[in-house]
Amino acid sequence: MLTNKRLILAHFWLAFIVFGLALVLGAWQMFVRSPLNTWHFNPEFYYRSVTAHGSAMGYVFPTLIAMGFGYAITEASLEKPLVGRRWAWVGFFLVAIGAVVAMIPVSLGRASVLYTFYPPMIGNPFYYIGVVMVVVGSWIWVALMSINFTIWKRENPGKPVPLAMFANVAGSYLWAWTAVGAALEILFQILPVALGLRSTIDAGLARVFFSWTLHAIVYFWLIPTYIAYYTIFPRAIGGRIYSDAMARIAFILFVVVAMPIGVHHLFADPQVGAGFKFMHSVFTGLVALPTLLTVFTICASAEIASRLCGGRGAFGWIRALPWSNPIMLATALSLVMLGFGGAGGLINMSYQLNTSVHNTQWVTGHFHLIFGGAIVIMYFAIAYDLWPHLTGRASEGFGLMRTQLWLWFIGMIVTTFPWHYVGILGMPRRMAFYDYANPVISPEAFSVVMSAIGGFILLISGTLFLLVLIRGQFSTKGEAGAYRFAIALHMPERIPVALNSFGLWLALMVGLTVVNYGFPIAQLMALSETNVPAVYVGASR
Amino acid sequence: MSDRPLFSPRNPWFSISVGVTAGIAVLSAIVGLVWLPLVQPNVKFSGLWDAICSAAGVPRAAVRDASLKPEFKTSGVVMTPQMLAGADQVSIGRGATLAQRCAICHGPQGVSDANSPNLAGQFAAVTYKELNDFKSGARASVVMVPFAAAMSDRDMKDVAAYYAYLPRVPSNNLDVGRPAPAIVVTGAPMRNIPPCGSCHGDIDNKAGSPWLGGQSAVYIKAQLEAFASGTRRNDISEQMRNIARQMTAEEIDQAAHFYEAQP
Amino acid sequence: MATETDHGPGEAVAARIERRWATLSIVIVALLVGMAAVIGIHRATMPQARVETADPKTLHLSGEFIESNLGSAVEPDGSVTVRAIGQQYSFTPQCIVVPAETPITIRATSADVVHGFLIEGTNINTMLVPGYVSDLPVRFSAPGEHVMPCQEFCGIGHQGMWGKVKVVDRTAFLNMTAAKRRLTCAD
Repeated sequence: MLTNKRLILAHFWLAFIVFGLALVLGAWQMFVRSPLNTWHFNPEFYYRSVTAHGSAMGYVFPTLIAMGFGYAITEASLEKPLVGRRWAWVGFFLVAIGAVVAMIPVSLGRASVLYTFYPPMIGNPFYYIGVVMVVVGSWIWVALMSINFTIWKRENPGKPVPLAMFANVAGSYLWAWTAVGAALEILFQILPVALGLRSTIDAGLARVFFSWTLHAIVYFWLIPTYIAYYTIFPRAIGGRIYSDAMARIAFILFVVVAMPIGVHHLFADPQVGAGFKFMHSVFTGLVALPTLLTVFTICASAEIASRLCGGRGAFGWIRALPWSNPIMLATALSLVMLGFGGAGGLINMSYQLNTSVHNTQWVTGHFHLIFGGAIVIMYFAIAYDLWPHLTGRASEGFGLMRTQLWLWFIGMIVTTFPWHYVGILGMPRRMAFYDYANPVISPEAFSVVMSAIGGFILLISGTLFLLVLIRGQFSTKGEAGAYRFAIALHMPERIPVALNSFGLWLALMVGLTVVNYGFPIAQLMALSETNVPAVYVGASR
Repeated sequence: MSDRPLFSPRNPWFSISVGVTAGIAVLSAIVGLVWLPLVQPNVKFSGLWDAICSAAGVPRAAVRDASLKPEFKTSGVVMTPQMLAGADQVSIGRGATLAQRCAICHGPQGVSDANSPNLAGQFAAVTYKELNDFKSGARASVVMVPFAAAMSDRDMKDVAAYYAYLPRVPSNNLDVGRPAPAIVVTGAPMRNIPPCGSCHGDIDNKAGSPWLGGQSAVYIKAQLEAFASGTRRNDISEQMRNIARQMTAEEIDQAAHFYEAQP
Repeated sequence: MATETDHGPGEAVAARIERRWATLSIVIVALLVGMAAVIGIHRATMPQARVETADPKTLHLSGEFIESNLGSAVEPDGSVTVRAIGQQYSFTPQCIVVPAETPITIRATSADVVHGFLIEGTNINTMLVPGYVSDLPVRFSAPGEHVMPCQEFCGIGHQGMWGKVKVVDRTAFLNMTAAKRRLTCAD
């Protein structure tokens, strides 16, 4: 039962328009930095583009998807209209306006600091203000998810909250607390300097704050994907979730251990002690646990679906899966990319292996494979699945959808595998151009061309995706029926309070963050001599 | 089981999850903060407490052991991007009076054809830093050193503010259509030469780097050669020598003539 | 769909398989974390041991990062200390010369923004954060040349920030130190 179709459609459309624009920038970047281009150009355009691409893809696009999907889940799984519809629109417009406010200085070249900010470099204050507006808009969504969750529980005492809603609320709480790190950095460190109220900033402390956000934000991006794995995929292929309880535990684990691990991005930084780096490394290992659990549950759910349709044999059931179904295809491709990306992630999490790839193109390859690959391909699947319910029109063109998904998968592999390879060779990331004529760099030229070709394939796939969505808006009218989520093989009638509420898990999340971040942050805050002069970017000419 | 209050040690969900989380945190803290630092062979700690504090990242100032002192005078200016931002009218007026004695070489409006640098519209921090370096002896010049020696810190700031206030005047060789040579647009990355404009103001400005547009080609060339050969060494921590010594004579010539033709 | 009524044995089997997989997952994670700890102990490759501070504004005025003290210095115990700074857009020294088969300590910091310090073809890779000193023990196994790019976005000239490292034979290095107390291969 979706009553706020326009609200949800607005979120999805804005998200995918932003995605399309950022995808064009991404493909352009792949081209200009490759040997296909003669590198006689102003490098500032490249960094400007990277800032826009990163801010759009990292902050605006997934936030809007999580919000729109969250509203859809609330109405469809709780089977009642969303409480706080007006506030939801306020949140939407805050994100939309924030995105525009941030992009104006970026497109003028006044904030080419990349989306990870990099103080003491400081850009135009409106860039940061825009990002804050995006985050504040998303916090309205967090509040709405929490309110709807609480109201439903009060109306249905003792009943288990539907898994989709439980996971959705887990994601919103995770995001609320994750965003605090970057919010502290922007509000108390960067903005006062950008507005000219202060002229110095502790870059080391800023990096610690940002690491608090930087890693867990990936799980915020990931949660819609995992919700789709658990609650859309089994239903779409005619199966069931293997286990409802284990799914809840996986989402709870993300809430608890996603935050206190961010310092693994700072393994090579001089401002954090080795002991805390080790502690964060241990918890980084733990965050692999919910993913391992998920992979098992999803594969088992697929097997159930296949055997229900007559699949047999130890591996024969894989062939009996409904491969012509776009959701089936997207999930399988997503899991393959998650597998490769996760393996790379295990390398990054260990200090010793990390030194050989830290800040090389390996890392760029890694997060494009995980986010752009495994996560975004499921965003496509979510859109394909929801579209008939949102537009009230029939879903057409499974073939086109499959082509688009395959192209995305192939494009992502062709882009990121060479990226990983040149990273191992030591190619540094975030550079506008490389002198491929130099014998040190020339062995990397071929791989970079491959990556660029992958980028073009991704652009084609992204265009096809938008075409499918546009076509869905104009196809023949058809009632898609109620939107349903998958149910579990053994549907629980009652579940422990712990698996139906968040109090305990939020307490552990905050507690663990305080344990792992409290001391490093406190001692850097107490330090005054490490406040260094701000370097304004694009200010004086 | 589900009827028991959640926040109670009798609820197994509570006791197990809190216990396991706390256990992992304590164990990893002991390994990370105590055990690992103590077994590091190449670090000497004065005791257990020192090892724990170091692993926790308690900061301390870098040890100031005997460092090798320079054989020549280096710049003593503390350069920050905020330096001399926002000069007042009093300072500019005072600077205008003081600048009269500069006019013979630098022109009454901060522009001259005498192959001495044009100062009109130059970043204040640049003029101030060079005057300081002339005074301290970090930069050599038979003409400039006696002038600078007589100037107080305030004099230098005011003169710098005055010249920054004057509008930039294009040189007689202005030719905006002149194509930019590769060494200016992209530099030569593998020789550690970034685009000139990434510091000198046409793309972005690094504190202390002068605006080059309209400067005499003879002057630019002479300075690049002086940096390259090491006869000029007042650039802080070799920031310009590193670049100039990688440039070929031809590239120096191209860059000098390109900037002379710029506004 | 027999599963609806089959709450007893089927559910128990499912739960058992699931528990086994969960246990296996925990073992995998424990193994990976344990590996990191063991390598940390036996190979002594841990993050730098101390947090040290240095004021980026006055690096060139006093202390160990003044211009004349940058470069490679031989210590009384025969090891070598390399001091370097990163700044927009070069490392000083622009070319670092070090001996092979010798324990070396690299001490480096930044004079302005965040830079990266990566020596290609080795595992030497750290961040230079203004205000803090990076300190890392390294060892080069064989003579040769490496490039040393800045690996962190440090401004519009970032792509032009490439230094060099020359690893020379140990005796050749010691001969060079007879003439000069701080060695570089810039010029």
